Amino acid sequence: MRKSVFVFLSLLVVASVLLVACGTTTPAPAATDAPVATNAPAATDAPAATDAPVTELEGTLNVWSFTNEIKTMAIAFQGRHPKVKVVYTMIPMTNGEYQTKVKAASGTADSPDVVALEAAFVKEWVESDLLANLNDLVPLTKELKTYPAVIQVGTYEGVTKGFSYQATPGAFFYRRSIAKECLGTDDPEKVQAMVADMDKFVETAAKIKACGTGDYYTVGSGAELFTPFLANRAQPWVVDGKLVIDPKIVEYVHFAKMMRDNGYESGATQWTEGWFAGMNDTLKDANGTSKKVFSYFLPTWGLPYVLSPNSTPKDGGGAGTGGDWAMVNGPMSYQWGGTWVGVLEGSPNSELAKEFVKFVALDEENLTNWATGVYTNEYLKAIDPTTPDDQAQAAGDFVSSQFVVEKITSSFDNSTLSEFLGGENSYGAFAQAAPSVDGSFLTGSDDAIQRALNDPLAAYLSGTMTEAEMWAAWLDAVRNEFPDLIIPEPPVK
Amino acid sequence: MNLAKIRKNLTGYFFLAPFIIGFLVFGLYPVINTLALSFTDTTLMSGHSHFIWLDNFKRLFADDVFLRAVGNTWLIWILNFIPQIGIALLLSVLFTSIRLKIKAVGLWRAIFFLPNLLMPAAVAALFNALFAYYGPANQFMVRAGYLPEAMRFLESIWVTRGLVIFIQWWTWFGQTLIIVMAGMTSIPVHLYEAAMVDGASAWQMFRQITLPLLKPILIFVFVTSLVGGMQMFDIPFLLTDGRGSPLSSIQTNNILMYMKFASSKGHIGAASSVGVLIFIMTSICALGIFYFLRDRDLDAPKTTGKQLLKKNPERSQS
Repeated sequence: MRKSVFVFLSLLVVASVLLVACGTTTPAPAATDAPVATNAPAATDAPAATDAPVTELEGTLNVWSFTNEIKTMAIAFQGRHPKVKVVYTMIPMTNGEYQTKVKAASGTADSPDVVALEAAFVKEWVESDLLANLNDLVPLTKELKTYPAVIQVGTYEGVTKGFSYQATPGAFFYRRSIAKECLGTDDPEKVQAMVADMDKFVETAAKIKACGTGDYYTVGSGAELFTPFLANRAQPWVVDGKLVIDPKIVEYVHFAKMMRDNGYESGATQWTEGWFAGMNDTLKDANGTSKKVFSYFLPTWGLPYVLSPNSTPKDGGGAGTGGDWAMVNGPMSYQWGGTWVGVLEGSPNSELAKEFVKFVALDEENLTNWATGVYTNEYLKAIDPTTPDDQAQAAGDFVSSQFVVEKITSSFDNSTLSEFLGGENSYGAFAQAAPSVDGSFLTGSDDAIQRALNDPLAAYLSGTMTEAEMWAAWLDAVRNEFPDLIIPEPPVK
Repeated sequence: MNLAKIRKNLTGYFFLAPFIIGFLVFGLYPVINTLALSFTDTTLMSGHSHFIWLDNFKRLFADDVFLRAVGNTWLIWILNFIPQIGIALLLSVLFTSIRLKIKAVGLWRAIFFLPNLLMPAAVAALFNALFAYYGPANQFMVRAGYLPEAMRFLESIWVTRGLVIFIQWWTWFGQTLIIVMAGMTSIPVHLYEAAMVDGASAWQMFRQITLPLLKPILIFVFVTSLVGGMQMFDIPFLLTDGRGSPLSSIQTNNILMYMKFASSKGHIGAASSVGVLIFIMTSICALGIFYFLRDRDLDAPKTTGKQLLKKNPERSQS
């Protein structure tokens, strides 16, 4: 009796301790925050904060954001205005934590002065009464030739409340080696012709699969194509208080199913380990068979923040895929993401906050420094010695000012990013796509509506739900988050 | 003389005041405010709101989303509570048994309690990574031959629910064990000794001595676990997509409330109506537990917690 009791207890202990040990030693995966590239190009000299501003600004500014990107700018801002102190708070937006936190804090004593707003939810804020009017900064956009879509997104009923330092046209990144092996060429123009529209894209996907005998996937996750499909809708999500299910949405759902059923996508969830592993050739299925991913749909920021930093395996093994990539427009033109900054209404530091927005999004020097890799660790540490080591801003983010873009494009001809793309100047390619980007379809409800689709769609893709059940589940979910929205009949019943 | 009495009373009220004030401000006011909000269409993103009577409640019953969330919550709680209390009772009996005399009880207990110290966020992230499609669980199961091919664990309703139930059980049975053991050690040993002299079996002793005397403790465990279970949030929220994926199978009451609160404009009015219904439901159930587990034979000599406490010093000497 005592012996069996002891065995039983020991088993429980083993279960407890093993899992406790796992819990304490395995680092939680960083789900969505894109790692910041650290391969900053050669540093320029120490910060030149000597050209004294006309009026010396001072005060303390509270800035909230969902990544550490803007922190770099905040440090640079302190470099220009030494008497200003920026208190920076980063809250990740994995499952919408950031959005909720800012909503809950606004109007209270903890309210920040400046908030960063991502494309998925910026409209919610621009359409609300919570952001201050920044119309007097609009004239600055003329000289900088800020891309119209960037201003359009930050404007509601004639009042501009947010500006962005980025423009975010999307692209299609593919592996040159796989293109050569399976498509017979790695030349961007020829590959673009092979993926010029959705039909051709599917043909190419079939070729890739056949050539890799099932071990090559065309994309990491079918969800990458959601944004391109969204960008090509005829109507936004909400029109006159009614939810609109555009034919492109239905088309996307069918397309995603086809990609999954045919094995054209790896089945990894976007922003998870498996999805990133495809970028550096360490993707292995459960049997240990190596799998390769041919391409990724990513926008401007995806190159310096997602693809390039993840192209070398995390554990140091393997050569990585740098230099083996190329970039083309892909089957559809689209834009994806972007960060806007706005000032909260009622901020006691509104003037200083406005200056900060101006510096972040509408300052030629800052935008140039931002895009060309001037903000190195040395530069930032000279201003604030406590700067973390990974704070440097690598060159290559695509900025919102056409004026700056034109000025600096040629500087990327021989940059690290161009080497990464096998000599292609990505900046020049994005510069061609940026003016045609359209931001008019963003609405304040996008984020919640789109996120509500993920779960039913995943169930439909894996076959646990029929298409009709999927639409019904999605519409139920949307109805429960938008008490006032009129919900249409599902496309398939 | 009277003055002295009043002064004495005042001192008592003075010492009570911090709690009473704290309760009124942080306990009662939010409840009343939530109730008031639940009749309005208040949102976080706009300044004005309207009184809309019962519209929020009507909407909750317009489709099966709310009832499904309630069902999920009960299901997950019950399936985690039964093994939790079962294992806790079993271990407590073993640990306190005067026949077995297990050594280093404190150590065992501490080890079983350890999982409770882990952050729910870390545990959820760990299980999310373990059971991802390209994660270690799949790698292990397929290579060891337990599964023919990789499985989408976190898209399977019962695997995901099972994980939530397991995590809840695993992190909380140690806590329950400690409380139940505290209750059992406060039962006078001489009762068991007398029973053993009379030739009672272990089961008879458990059924006739332990359980009746443990009732106050069991009610406490039951009610606190119920309240906690009805408010279950962190693990199911963080294990998948924060919306109770897959197929809303781990979408609990509180996740639904949070989704309404966090969605686009922040519909706190609609979220409050969920909160009010959870409050009513939990209150009814808790009162029901008290009612059904009350002492039915008040005339018989009671051995309740109070008397046990009195007898406690006696036991510690023995």
